[in-house]
This record gives sequence, structure tokens and C-alpha cells, in this order.
Amino acid sequence: MASVSPWVCIGVIVGAHGIKGGVRVKCFIDQPQNLRAYGPVRDESGQKRFNARVQGVSKGLALVALDGVADRTQAEALKGTKLYVDRNNLPKVDEDEYLVADLIGCRVESPQGLLLGAVSNVYDFGAGEVLEIKGKSGELMVPFTKAAVPQVDVGAKLVVVEPPVYAPDEKDEETAFEAEGDEDQEAP
Amino acid sequence: MARSVWKGPFLDGYLLKKADKSRNSGRNEVIKIWSRRSTILPNFVGLTFGVYNGHKFLPVIVTENMIGHKFGEFSPTRTYYGHGVDKKAKRK
Repeated sequence: MASVSPWVCIGVIVGAHGIKGGVRVKCFIDQPQNLRAYGPVRDESGQKRFNARVQGVSKGLALVALDGVADRTQAEALKGTKLYVDRNNLPKVDEDEYLVADLIGCRVESPQGLLLGAVSNVYDFGAGEVLEIKGKSGELMVPFTKAAVPQVDVGAKLVVVEPPVYAPDEKDEETAFEAEGDEDQEAP
Repeated sequence: MARSVWKGPFLDGYLLKKADKSRNSGRNEVIKIWSRRSTILPNFVGLTFGVYNGHKFLPVIVTENMIGHKFGEFSPTRTYYGHGVDKKAKRK
């Protein structure tokens, strides 16, 4: 059984900013200004820990000052470093509420136990959350409702999904009819 | 300029037929539609439409708040790389 990591990746350093040790961070959080509220950040191995202070946002990247990084050379050496925060510092969730970070990567099965793929993303386009599931047979978009997603087990990294049933379409029926007609014509 | 009121909301006629058919069937199925320009009417509330965005059908569960909007507003056509990891998703 897969266990949930206590650390969540919230961004990656993509370069240096200025000559005083600032870095540019591509943030994976909704509001880069919240970076400080999530406590100290660390790298993947946990050897480097920083207190991060967001100084601004430019071209979609957060401009961050890290404690202990005083010049551009040190900042450039950090390029490519992923920044992690403690999961406990992230916002608390209510019942039937899940962090997007927890849902992404979950194994997706049908109620019969058939493997459908894995959750690759969670979208909200104004009509409720939608799970994007990528599997061998392609992409599947499923509304995040109790009817369509009867079971979510974040601890086991498992999501049970009722695959959507599409209403028969007139276009499909027409093409099917044409195909049948063609078959009839081709038959000797 | 806004659309004249006397014309009423625009709707591709076949949507009404599809919605009625789906409602009468009693099954909770997704209605595939390509008409992004059609207005959402009160009698679509509760139904689930799969609105085509040129690439795939995005599920849109129609609620009362959506009445008067167009279907296309809920199925963006541009690539979107998703929300932040700290965003919450509520199962309704």
C-alpha cells in the first residue's frame, strides 16, 4: 500500500534574480504570497532548509529571498532545486474535501476493480471539479461528484470511478447506419 | 452590443430534443454536444452535458447559477496546466 509523503512539492527554483541572492521560483501553489505561511522550505533530500520570503511576482514566477543565500553565485547553484513544505502546514480539509496534491497520482479503478489509469490533474472550469484520468486507452474526464466518484482513499492512493455513460448520439447512429448500409452494398 | 431581448435566448434546436430524450430515459448519462454557442436554459438544470472543446468532451453538470450563460464558457479551448497543489477539491 502506497503511503502519503509528509512533504509536498510547492515549487522549483528556475534561476537567480538580482545580485543579492534572490531566486525565481515556479510555484505550484495557487497564491505564491502564501509560500511563507506554509513554513520553512527544504530541498528533496532535506539537507538544505530555508526560510523563504516572497518579494514579488514577475512573469508568472515568484521572486523569493532565501535565508542564507547572499549572492548571485549561491542563487544560481540552486537552479533546479525543488522546494518542499510539510504537509501539515497546508490548509486543513473538511469532509469530502481533498487537496489536489493528494488526488494527483492516485490509481483509478472501476467499481468492478478494473484498472482505468491514474489521476493526472484536477480542473475547475466553473462547472465543478473535474478529474482528468490518463490510462492506456486515453484520457477520461469525470466530474468529481459522489455519483461519479463513489470512493476516494487518499491513504491508499485509490480512487474508484464510475466511468461516464454517454447518451447515444444521432450523429453516431447516422454513421452506424451508413456503415451498415455500406456493408450491405459491399456484400455479394 | 447585447442581443435583442425580443429574439429570446439563442439555442440550437436539437439540444432540447436531446435533453428531453435523456431526461425521459431516467438514466444519468452524459449528453455529448458540440454547440458551445447555445444558451443554458432552466430545463437543462440537473443534466450533465459533455461539451466539446475541440479536443475532448468536458463534463458540465448544469446548476441554476449557469442559466443564461453559454455552454462554451464552461469548456475552455486553451491548454490549462491545472491548479496549485494547495487547492482544495470538494466532492459534491
